Amino acid sequence: MIEQFAEGALMAFRADTILMIVVGLFSGMLVGALPGFTTLMAMAILLPLSFFLDPLVGIPFLLGIYKGGIFGGSIPAILVSMPGTGAAVATSIDGYKLTQKGQSRKALDMALFSSVIGDTFSDIFTILMIFPIALLVMQFGPPELFAVLLMSLVIIVATSGSNPLKGLVMMLFGLWLAQIGTDPIGGVERFTFGIFELKSGIPLLPMLIGVFALPELVYAVMRSERVGAFAKLVGERLSKAEFKRCIPTIRRSTIIGTSIGIVPGLGQVVAAMMGYSAAKNASSHPETFGEGEVEGVAAAEAANNAVNGPTLVPLLTLGIPGDNVTAILLGAFVAQGLRPGPQLFEEQGSIVFAILVAMVLANLMFVVIGYLSIPLFARIVTVKTGLLVPIVIMFAFAGAYVFRSDATDVLMLVLFGLFGLLARAAKFDVMPMVMGFILGVPLEYAFGQTVAMAGSSPLAFMFTERIGMMAVLIATPIIGYVLWKRMRAATS
Amino acid sequence: MIWTSLKRTVGAAVVATVALGSAAMAEYPEKPITVVIPLGAGGSHDLNARVITSTIPTHLGQAMIVRLSPGAGGQKGTQEVANAAPDGYTLLFSHNYIDQLQQHVENLPYDPLADFVPVARVNYAPIALMVRSDSPYQTFDELMDAAKANPGEIRLSHSGNWGALFTPAAQIMKETGAIFNMVPFQGGGPATQALLSGDTEVSFGFPSVLGSLLDAGEVRVLATAGEERIYDDVPSFTELGLAPESGFMHRIFLAPAGTPPEVIAKLEEAFTALQEDRTYQRLMSRLGENTDYIGSSAYQAMREAQKVEYEALVESITSQ
Repeated sequence: MIEQFAEGALMAFRADTILMIVVGLFSGMLVGALPGFTTLMAMAILLPLSFFLDPLVGIPFLLGIYKGGIFGGSIPAILVSMPGTGAAVATSIDGYKLTQKGQSRKALDMALFSSVIGDTFSDIFTILMIFPIALLVMQFGPPELFAVLLMSLVIIVATSGSNPLKGLVMMLFGLWLAQIGTDPIGGVERFTFGIFELKSGIPLLPMLIGVFALPELVYAVMRSERVGAFAKLVGERLSKAEFKRCIPTIRRSTIIGTSIGIVPGLGQVVAAMMGYSAAKNASSHPETFGEGEVEGVAAAEAANNAVNGPTLVPLLTLGIPGDNVTAILLGAFVAQGLRPGPQLFEEQGSIVFAILVAMVLANLMFVVIGYLSIPLFARIVTVKTGLLVPIVIMFAFAGAYVFRSDATDVLMLVLFGLFGLLARAAKFDVMPMVMGFILGVPLEYAFGQTVAMAGSSPLAFMFTERIGMMAVLIATPIIGYVLWKRMRAATS
Repeated sequence: MIWTSLKRTVGAAVVATVALGSAAMAEYPEKPITVVIPLGAGGSHDLNARVITSTIPTHLGQAMIVRLSPGAGGQKGTQEVANAAPDGYTLLFSHNYIDQLQQHVENLPYDPLADFVPVARVNYAPIALMVRSDSPYQTFDELMDAAKANPGEIRLSHSGNWGALFTPAAQIMKETGAIFNMVPFQGGGPATQALLSGDTEVSFGFPSVLGSLLDAGEVRVLATAGEERIYDDVPSFTELGLAPESGFMHRIFLAPAGTPPEVIAKLEEAFTALQEDRTYQRLMSRLGENTDYIGSSAYQAMREAQKVEYEALVESITSQ
């Protein structure tokens, strides 16, 4: 295996590989930064290009797009409070507050460094532990997923804000919104009132832009005569001292993100929120979180990027794609005549390692590309409010539409924008709602699957076959209560 | 004088417009064609479409652009194409279960047979019934006997109700009288993973994606769809007495009804030419897919037969 690794590492150091990684990173970053265009779309569209390239050029190219895209998504989240994916929601909490304080460059720097560190460590961990991870992945099924999702929701509520009760109300509302549409288990329509457009459920992107970006724009317009609406300053770069202060947070988030990556089906959204909640809970000054704390950005970004390494494991060791991104990568592999799985490891293990090494290389190169391009992006906020607000509004509407090319999504955007304004006026945090909405579908799926699997004897099933699930379920209320107590003591 | 020259100019302009118009008809396609896929990114339709759209332009003279429009079990994208102008510039890349089965389980906002005409069946994927290699079930009959003896006890992972893995299971249950505990997953990949991790005992997969798991001895295939054997030592559905059409997913291009026959003919021509394309053949074989092409009218007859067959199938399963 060490021989294969050495061989693979050498294979990855090729000029054309490195060039295409750079191209991928850059285009991914641009696509990710545009609301409505997802990294997934970019990968799907550029996939055919990889059919005609060498495997060690085409696949690293797609990986570059993926990695660039995740960071790209945090750019509008930080600068204009417009998270384009669920994974960027946690980043925008403190990131946008930093922008308002005139420290957008610092926030972007922190996002870049923490995401690259989280990603690199999880990739290295994956390279070293690929077979143990592959075994561990198999220990998680729908029952465990259900328990972990439920626990995540409890933690989000308990650490959400000064008033967990309001958080709970919003989360339940989000869970209800997730019910609208076709029920994933039985295929029955729910709360659609016979409206066809609701049958496929409420779209995520118009909700994200609506509740996070639109209210900010309204407030910006209302304030603009007196203060500068969006802060005009890009501020200083991240200082060494600030970075050092965040190291424990980045380390914690990387561990959280990597562990979450091992559980199939959880993903970046959960990782980012858990990383954020854990940092807030561990901090000696939790009250600064949500008010523009660089540590908050670091916690979210390190965690959501640390998911990347382990999510590739089922694809590389068994040939099973766990999500859409890995499914596209699988397509790139098989079109090259490489069939990921145990056989590929035995026969062409060096190629698999070459690709993993290319991932680490991509991270290192991204530090340079990102660091050089951040000042450009950060300058967006220095545009005059009178110009910036209309431009952002245009991107908000265009993004909501482009996402599914569906005109009803524009209506959704406006409705969620109004809802966001109301919630702000009533001092309700929309974040738990969004999390409830995003995690509602997998939660219900996992619950339905667990019930189906348990069959006629649910108790025996849970207590004999699924002890892990029961342990998490029993621990959840305890953890929730302890966190809630601590948050209350810290903030009061 | 001025009047006559004006008349002449107008006349010439009219003639020119008519000529241009008919030339445009003759020259379809004069702009890129949008292909709507009512399924998500990275799935087998997405991959197949990427191969087709990267090879067909040389035969069509225009690009084909993929637009993924998943949602409501495929109904969202299908509805979009049903409402699109029947001019050959919006096509649907779908499969037989969305096309002909869904109408029997749900109220659709369109009528598949009346609102769509087939362009081509690009290829088909036969399903394989599989268990883990450490499973006690060695043969198809052993598995069915166990599922009959303990109805609803054996867990089967599939990719969603009346989808590409559920329907073959329904067909088998209808024909053999076996009853499985059907557990849905979000796609074929997670369904296979559930089988491997022991969350379910049985699942289905397409031979195109099973290759490496079979080679590694992780799974055992008990039967494959169709008349012919796919693996030398595994019986086909026909040998086991199952209906010959069971377990086939047909990947099909559909156009909105009312699309001019010349346009359909032009598309068919391009698809026929594609069959001889070496790059297309090579990429499809790497994906593990066949290139068993069927033209528009021949597939229309199959659709009509599917409608009747699926109606009976849904009836037999939902009445249990």
